[in-house]
Amino acid sequence: MWLNPIVKRDVRVQSRSMKICWGVFAYELILSFVFFVAMMVIEQGNRYSTNNIYSALVWLYPVLAVTQLIILGIVVPVRTASSISGEKERQTFDIMMTTGMTPFSIILGKVMTAVVQSMFFVVASMPVMALCFVIGGMSISYLFWFLGVALLVSVFSASIGILCSSLCKRSISAVIMSYVFYIVFFVGTAAPFFIYAIVEARRSYQGMAPYNHGENTALFFLLNPAVYLIEFFVKVMSGESFVSIFSNLTGTVQKKELISYVASGNWWMIISTVLFLAVSFSFLLLAARRINPIKKRKVKV
Amino acid sequence: MLQIDHLYKNYGKFQAVNDLTLHIPKGDLFGFVGPNGAGKTTTIRMVCGLMLPAAGGIMINGVNALLHQKEIKKQIGYVPDFFGVYDNLKVKEYMDFYGSMYRMSSREIERISDDLLELVNLSDKKEVFVDTLSRGMKQRLCVARALIHNPALLVLDEPNSGLDPRARVEMKELLLNLQSMGKTIVISSHILSELSEMCNSIGIMDHGNLMAAGRIEEVMEGVFGSNQLIITLDSGRETAIRVAMEYPGVKISSAGEQEIRLSHTMTKEEIAKMIGAMIANDVVVTGFHKQEGNLETLFMRVTGKEEGGQEHVAESNR
Ligand SMILES: Nc1ncnc2c1ncn2[C@@H]1O[C@H](COP(=O)(O)OP(=O)(O)OP(=O)(O)O)[C@@H](O)[C@H]1O
Ligand SMILES: [Mg+2]
Repeated sequence: MWLNPIVKRDVRVQSRSMKICWGVFAYELILSFVFFVAMMVIEQGNRYSTNNIYSALVWLYPVLAVTQLIILGIVVPVRTASSISGEKERQTFDIMMTTGMTPFSIILGKVMTAVVQSMFFVVASMPVMALCFVIGGMSISYLFWFLGVALLVSVFSASIGILCSSLCKRSISAVIMSYVFYIVFFVGTAAPFFIYAIVEARRSYQGMAPYNHGENTALFFLLNPAVYLIEFFVKVMSGESFVSIFSNLTGTVQKKELISYVASGNWWMIISTVLFLAVSFSFLLLAARRINPIKKRKVKV
Repeated sequence: MLQIDHLYKNYGKFQAVNDLTLHIPKGDLFGFVGPNGAGKTTTIRMVCGLMLPAAGGIMINGVNALLHQKEIKKQIGYVPDFFGVYDNLKVKEYMDFYGSMYRMSSREIERISDDLLELVNLSDKKEVFVDTLSRGMKQRLCVARALIHNPALLVLDEPNSGLDPRARVEMKELLLNLQSMGKTIVISSHILSELSEMCNSIGIMDHGNLMAAGRIEEVMEGVFGSNQLIITLDSGRETAIRVAMEYPGVKISSAGEQEIRLSHTMTKEEIAKMIGAMIANDVVVTGFHKQEGNLETLFMRVTGKEEGGQEHVAESNR
């Protein structure tokens, strides 16, 4: 099998530097800190109850998982932001572009490096995570679900980081731009629904009839990472779908709008996952196009 | 091998390369000369597929370089004017990294890179980290790297900049060696004399225009016009002129008391015969030489920095 040379080199180079060791150390440190804080909270909550404290330990799972995903979300763009602009700054980019690598395989190599790195961290956290399963008695399949979500988060944030890296001349501006992208996904996807809700509230106050299909603005939440993660953890912890509870509360389900179908069963998670993957992939395509000096443009001969 | 047709490139309004047409045959060692900002790097980058021309065509080995990037990349080895290396990477891993970009097997890479490192004299540095190499070594390593996939065309952008005289000689030997292996080589430089020692053809560029190109001798002749011969003598001026006029294409440009300048289209043998005939006719010829501008004068002339300033180079008739 042909291993992408960029991944091979990056992994090799990284194994030589102490940076990654310190990184893992810091990562574990944060996790242990969160672990102890969570333990304290759980212990406080159980002091006067007769509940079994061990079963409360399952709550370590979402706490630790969310902590890790947040760390990944913050760190991955920083690491990937230098992937293209760093090659340019180091003046190795031109050579790379004249080799047999296509722009897309270069980009793919960069993503894979980022994902391998993230997974390295996630796997390193396994001993702490395992406590939820061993002591808390949680089904081990959730461990794999968590790995899947961590994978998705790292692919998604890596693709944002790499796109920004290909757009910016300097790595530092690529990092900043990546976080701007985050804001778009976290806030921007929520905006249509909230604008709709406000307008609707006003109209009903003035006694006007509601808009048709307005609830479908909530479909933008499919691309909201926060909603995705809430849905995931609510599902894991309670077996219910946060989105359908939410849409029941707002009464959308009765209306037979598109949103009510999407919000039922497992559809939300599935569609959302597919959309995130599609967005990541198109970001990578864009980045590959961006670094290609010979775009498929007509040349006058 | 490399055929460039009416190539144009502009940066905004600035015309960096202007109607460049050039043919470099297989096996040539072609020198690309020009002052700073002439457009050499721009041209080279277009040839290597790092930049799109505004108009024009580039054919390499009969393949349209602008349409078939993938095939072209296998044919070209590129050594940029400025380049960096990765930290924490050993020389042999550096070669392996680039080799695997061409999807070569590790075995193949190891075999070829051993040969190449031998060729560029870096065999003893295999285990050394690339970022600790000296400038000259990095330069040679970069040449070895550019050859890992055995390209037919090697393009080097100012490979001599920053090298000490000894390293320059080594670089020259390396390039001549590669030429003898049948590679076509394009090398750019500011320094013409350096190129004239190894190149068999040159192109002179200035302000985006190709001023002259071809075999070194042809370029010189094209720039200086027809051949000039200067004959110095002690006596027998009239006889000498009479004899000279019988030979092909001879025109007397000036006839001083002790010096005759003439333009001609004679071969070396005919010149020898003519001088012989003059001596046989009792003309006291004290010397003769071809009037020839050296390459630097040529360069200055072509690039319009200086007019005239021709030097006389003694020409003995062998
Ligand atoms: N990216 C760019 N944007 C704008 N102008 C550029 C760019 N690259 C080159 N130029 C201009 O194009 C002209 C040709 O540049 P080029 O680098 O090809 O010259 P060169 O012959 O390689 O010079 P040198 O000997 O200094 O390397 C210069 O005037 C330069 O200012
Ligand atoms: Mg240059």
